[in-house]
Amino acid sequence: MISLAKSRIMHAMDSQYLATLVDDRLAQGVFRVHPDVYASSELFDAEQKHVFERTWIFLGLESQIAKPNDYLVTWIGRLPVLVTHAADGVRRAFFNVCRHKGTVLCRLESGNTRFHVCGYHGWAYDAAGRAVDIKDQPSGGYTEAFTRDNHDLVPLGAFASYKGLMFGSVSAQVPPLETFLGEMRFFLDLAMEQGAQGMEFVPGRIGFTYNGNWKAQLDNSSDAYHLTSTHLSFMEVQRRRADSVSGNQAARQFDWKKRFEQEGGAYTFLNGHNVIWLNQSEDTKRPVYPQIDEVRARVGDLKAEWMLRLRNLTVFPSMQIADSTSLLIRTFRPVAVDRTEMRYYCLAPIGEAAEVRQWRLRQFEDFFNVSGFATPDDTAMYEDMAVGLKAAQIGYVQGYARGIGVQTAGPDALARAAGVMPISSASGMFDLQAETWGHALYREWARLMQSGVAGEPAWPQAAGAAQ
Amino acid sequence: MIPSTHVSIATRLLYREAALLDERRWDDWIALFAQHCEYWVPTWRTEAELATDPQRELSHIYYASRAGLEDRLVRIRSGRSPATTPMRRTAHCVSNIELLNAAEDRLEVRSTWANHVFDPHHRTQLVLFGWSEHRLEYGSGGWLIARKKIVLQNDQLPAMIDIYCL
Ligand code: FES
Ligand SMILES: [Fe+2]
Repeated sequence: MISLAKSRIMHAMDSQYLATLVDDRLAQGVFRVHPDVYASSELFDAEQKHVFERTWIFLGLESQIAKPNDYLVTWIGRLPVLVTHAADGVRRAFFNVCRHKGTVLCRLESGNTRFHVCGYHGWAYDAAGRAVDIKDQPSGGYTEAFTRDNHDLVPLGAFASYKGLMFGSVSAQVPPLETFLGEMRFFLDLAMEQGAQGMEFVPGRIGFTYNGNWKAQLDNSSDAYHLTSTHLSFMEVQRRRADSVSGNQAARQFDWKKRFEQEGGAYTFLNGHNVIWLNQSEDTKRPVYPQIDEVRARVGDLKAEWMLRLRNLTVFPSMQIADSTSLLIRTFRPVAVDRTEMRYYCLAPIGEAAEVRQWRLRQFEDFFNVSGFATPDDTAMYEDMAVGLKAAQIGYVQGYARGIGVQTAGPDALARAAGVMPISSASGMFDLQAETWGHALYREWARLMQSGVAGEPAWPQAAGAAQ
Repeated sequence: MIPSTHVSIATRLLYREAALLDERRWDDWIALFAQHCEYWVPTWRTEAELATDPQRELSHIYYASRAGLEDRLVRIRSGRSPATTPMRRTAHCVSNIELLNAAEDRLEVRSTWANHVFDPHHRTQLVLFGWSEHRLEYGSGGWLIARKKIVLQNDQLPAMIDIYCL
């Protein structure tokens, strides 16, 4: 360990400095993270390159581009991405960038078109990414060298789907998607197998920007510890509803007192992923409940039982599923060290009964919306962290310590029964509120940053998963 | 012909609503809404299309009755919401008030709004803007808001939105 005073004057690209940022000494009962990880703009630029451009990033749902010529526009970090569904039935992902002079090709977030025509000089591409028209090419006095050159859209390094979830990677040097997801597949199944006909995003765009680092959101989804302080106002509202003082019962929201009496825990997995879970006190309030018999018959008792548990998961670095109130997929896009763009999606079974859909919407809006009762109090804290963490003088933050004393290596009984193999398990009554989930995140962050700065491959075993 | 008294009834009520939010007179503000008032802030489905059905599409806020707004006031007054401490200060501007329909006991009103929001904690400010549709109904309590639909034009939202931001 080098002193903090010294660390701050060292260059972010120094591997010795990088090695100090995540103080990972679990054997001695210590796991701490340096404020620079959340607050240094030098590190931010480096992590765009070494983290976001060297691993799998969630792009969207296959059902968002269900029909031929459907497309959607998204991002990997600061890079614009276009995902298409071509007439040959194949989905592909490209940089959303015209080859002529590098302008953004597709200017709408979604749509359906056979040809993507650039607004600048009219070069046209088909949905498979082929350049089908260089406007006025015959009269252009082009050389043979130009004609021989490739003008097609540039595909991402890798693109693949798992259970309808599409992922892409800028780098081709990544393991196969299923390997990257690993044990997380069980938990992704629990979200993606809730509908007999598959899952969709409910229409309606919810996006917001907070003035804070993306890792504040990265952490918060797993953070059970903040509920009983940050969300006290929501709990007060909820108590009035539970006591029928409030006439607003549309969300059929949960009784937090009952939740706090449940058993729960945290798992860490390879490649930066994590899961937290909590046993369910009021399973009839879960929007999946009315269909649970159909679900059980289709996916079995084990998965059906897990679907009724509260589960929040993070697929490192920027995709989260929260199935705590209703079912949410959240992605975040770092724009600057202290600026993060969020997208929230309400995930629901295709063909869901109108009455259940209505209830799902009210539950989602009530809790998750940034215009709702819970999320704004989270984002207020993220913005305060961005102010506070400039004070690197405070030394390592101490927010990944709860649960270290009780966690065990490998699976606990619950994971073993599910056939899932975490790296670590920490479970107990709700008030344990373990923070051990953070170890997976910051180990992976440190691994990608250190190997990137050293010029080493992120995934030494990966031969490259071609598109 | 829409009698000019109807225009002035609508104008007075919309100005009052805006002023009461700015002055944080929550009880007086909520008293402007009928018990059965629907309060709806639709999302945008795409860049160009608004969501049209709150039962099938996400809303920023949807309450089928005034009870939802009462919940909001509980939260605002709880003193336990970080996003609400310290409270933002606002200046609601309402203009372009237009009567779309008028009957003896019922007015449909469209207006354009801009709300300036200052955050004394981070010393930042922003403007939210859009248009609103009010349905006003006359009953034993006088003229009350029986439906309010708020279209938010700049929907890449800041880190928090509450009823007094709209
Ligand atoms: S930049 Fe696209 S055609 Fe010129
Ligand atoms: Fe929260």
